[in-house]
Amino acid sequence: MEDILYSVRNLNVRYATRSGDVHAVDDVSLDIRRGEILGLVGESGCGKSTFGKAIMRMMRTPGRIDGGELWFDGDDLMTYSKKQMQSVRGGEIGMVFQDPMTSLNPVQRVIEHLTETIRTHEPKVSELAAIARAEELVEKLGIRRERLDDYPHQLSGGMRQRVMISLALALRTKLVIADEPTTSLDVIVEAKFLDLLRELRDEFDLTILLITHNIGVVAEVADRVAVMYAGRMAEVGDVYGVFAEPKHPYTVGLLHSVPNIDLAAHDLYKMEGAPPNLLSPPSGCPFHPRCPRAMDICAVEVPQFREVIPGHATACWLYDQVEVAGG
Amino acid sequence: MALQTPTNEYEWSVELEKVGFVRRLLGARRWYGADWWLVAISAVMVLVFIILGLVPSLLAPYSPDVQVGPRFLAPGASPDLPVLVSLASSGITELGDLETSTGDPRPSVGVVRGVPTAQALNEQAQALNEQLAGTDKELRPRIVRFNSIDEALQAVADGTIAAAVVQSAEYEDLAENYPQVVEGKSVTGESAAAGGFLLGTNQIGQDVFSRLIWGTRIALLIGFSASIIALVLGVPLGLLAGFRGGKLDRLLSIIMDSLYAFPGLILAISITAVLGPSVLNVIVAIAVLYIPTYYRIVRGQTLSVKEELYVEAARSIGARSREILRKYIYPNVIPSVAIIFSVNVADAILTGAGLSFLGLGLPPNTADWGIDLARGQGFIQTAWWLITFPGIAIMLVVLAFTMMGEGLMEIFNPKLRER
Repeated sequence: MEDILYSVRNLNVRYATRSGDVHAVDDVSLDIRRGEILGLVGESGCGKSTFGKAIMRMMRTPGRIDGGELWFDGDDLMTYSKKQMQSVRGGEIGMVFQDPMTSLNPVQRVIEHLTETIRTHEPKVSELAAIARAEELVEKLGIRRERLDDYPHQLSGGMRQRVMISLALALRTKLVIADEPTTSLDVIVEAKFLDLLRELRDEFDLTILLITHNIGVVAEVADRVAVMYAGRMAEVGDVYGVFAEPKHPYTVGLLHSVPNIDLAAHDLYKMEGAPPNLLSPPSGCPFHPRCPRAMDICAVEVPQFREVIPGHATACWLYDQVEVAGG
Repeated sequence: MALQTPTNEYEWSVELEKVGFVRRLLGARRWYGADWWLVAISAVMVLVFIILGLVPSLLAPYSPDVQVGPRFLAPGASPDLPVLVSLASSGITELGDLETSTGDPRPSVGVVRGVPTAQALNEQAQALNEQLAGTDKELRPRIVRFNSIDEALQAVADGTIAAAVVQSAEYEDLAENYPQVVEGKSVTGESAAAGGFLLGTNQIGQDVFSRLIWGTRIALLIGFSASIIALVLGVPLGLLAGFRGGKLDRLLSIIMDSLYAFPGLILAISITAVLGPSVLNVIVAIAVLYIPTYYRIVRGQTLSVKEELYVEAARSIGARSREILRKYIYPNVIPSVAIIFSVNVADAILTGAGLSFLGLGLPPNTADWGIDLARGQGFIQTAWWLITFPGIAIMLVVLAFTMMGEGLMEIFNPKLRER
C-alpha cells in the first residue's frame, strides 16, 4: 500500500455564470503519493488549474467547491475553518504560479516576501532569524543573497520563479502545487527549473503536483501522470505505463498530437472537434463526440473511473468488461 | 568581467538602491531625465509658500486688516505724505526744528487750504508739545493759510514764512521751480522711502503685499486640511469597497457617485451656506467634495490589483485578508493617491478661493486671495494691482503643487524608476 499524502475524493467545482453553472471539475478523485511528482495534464480550460486551486481551497466567487472530500495527511480540509486553512496554505501546501513576472508584489523587496511568509506562520521567529533562514534557502536555490534586497522587477524570469519556489518551501511544506511553472520560461531556464524541482523533491522530501499542458515536461520529470478532460479525470497512471500504453482514446490522441522532428508536417495528428462547452457538456462520456472509438453507450452513460490494470486507471467504456463482452 | 565594464551609470543606479531618502531625492535627475529641474523649482516654490504660510507675521510688513496707508496707492509709488519744506539755508528739516523757547516769537508755517496737511500738522505739533511740557521749550507754529501750493512755496522761497507743510506728490511736481527750497521729513514721522507699498494698497488703505502673505496661510490651511480629510476618509473606504465588494461596495459607490455627480462648486456653496462662514466649515465643505475622487481612484485600483497574481500568491502562502490589504494592495494603490493628493491640494486651494470670491465661507475681512479678488474686481480699470497679485499667487501655488506632486510620484514609484 502506497503512502498517500493527499487524497481527493469526488471533488466538484462549479463557476456561477450568467448563463448557468459551469461544472469545471466534475467528480474528480485523485491520490497524490508522498514523495512523488505527479503531472496533471490536459488542454486549456479542462479544469486543471481550477483543480489545483480547489485542493488548496482557494476558490473565490464566482467559483465554489460543490461537494467532495479533501483528505490531506489524514484530515479532511473541507472541515477546516478559514483560520486553519490559512495556516495550511504556505505552511503545509505551497503553490507556484504560472507567470513569475506578476506573481511577486512589485513594491516589496524579495526578502520581505520571504520573511513575511515565515513570520506569518511562525510569529515567534525574529526578523533577523527569518532573514537568515531566507538567505540560506535562496542560496540553495542558486540566488545570491545580495539579490534579496532587489525588487522583483530587477530579477530575471527564472530567478523570480526560483523565488516563488523558495516562498513555497519557506516553511517546509509537504506538498507544492506548481501551476504551469515553466510556461513563460525559455527552454534553457525551463530545463534548469525542472532539474531544480527534482533536486528539491529529493532534498526536501517534497511531493509535487505539476500542472501543465506540456506533455514533454511531464515525461521529463513526473513519476505518475493524470490526464484531465472537460473537468473529468480521463486517465491516471505510472508515467511509463501511460506513455507507452495509453488507455483512454483522449490520451492516445494527446500523445499523437505532440510535434516530433521525425514527423512530416501533414503527419501530425490533429484531434477532431474542439473541447466541449462546459456550460452544456455532452451526455455520457464528455469525450464521445470527438472519440474515434465511440460506441453507443458512450453517449448515454458516464463511464466509471477505475483501475484497468494495477496502478493504471481510466474512465472509458472500452475497458468495461461487461459492456465489451455484451457489445 | 572579462567583457567591457559597462558605464558608471549602471553602478550609480545600483548604488541608488541602497541610499536613503535625501540622496534619492538629490539623485532624482538620474531617472527623471531632463525634467528634474521642474521638480526642483516646484519644490522651492512649495517651500517658499509653506514658509510664507507658517510665519506671515515675520514676513509681512504691515498688519493685513488695518488701514496702513492711503487708498489705491499703486505698487511702488510713494504715498502722499505731508512733508515739511523750507529754505535750504534755514536748516529746518523736521517738525522738532521749529521748537522755540517760551516767549520767543512763534515760527510761521504755511499750509494750503483744502488739503488735509493742516490737520496733520496740528495733531503732530500738539503731540510734540505735550512731550515738551515742563521744559522751557515749546512748539507753537503760527499757521498761515495759502490758496495754492505755488503761493506757499513762493512764500517759503521769499523767506516770509519759516516753512510750509505740503503734500509730497504735489511738491515733487513743482520742486524744480523753487531750487532754493528743500524737502524735509514728513510731519507724521513716516518716511517716504520706507512707506512705499511694494504691491500698492487697496481701496481701504490696506497693504496688498501683506494681505497676500497672510492669504498664503489661509490658502494652505484650506488646501492641506481639506485634502488630508478627504484622503483619510476616501482611501480606506475605497480600499474596503474594492476589496470586499458586494453590498458594501454597491452602497458606498452609490453614495460616492451621487456626491461626484453633483457640480462641485455648487455642492461646496450649499454646504458652506448651511454651515455658516468659518474656515473650518470651508475645509469641511471642500473635503466632502473630494472624498469621491479618492474613493473612486482607490476602489478602481484595488479592484484591478486584487486580481493580480501576486495577491493570489499571497493567499497561497497563507496571508490573511488584512495583511493582503495592507502589504499587497495598499502599497500598489498609494502611488496614484499621491498624484491626486498633490493635484488635490492645488484644486482645493482653487475651490477655497472660488468660495470666498463668491463671498461664501470666510468671514468678510479675512486676508484671503479669493476675498481680495472679489473686492478688487470692481476697480480693475483703475487699480489693476488689486486683482493681479492675488491671481498670480493662486496660479503659482496651484502650479507648484501640481508639478511637485508629479515629480515626486516619478521618484517614489519603483515601477517608474529605471526608465
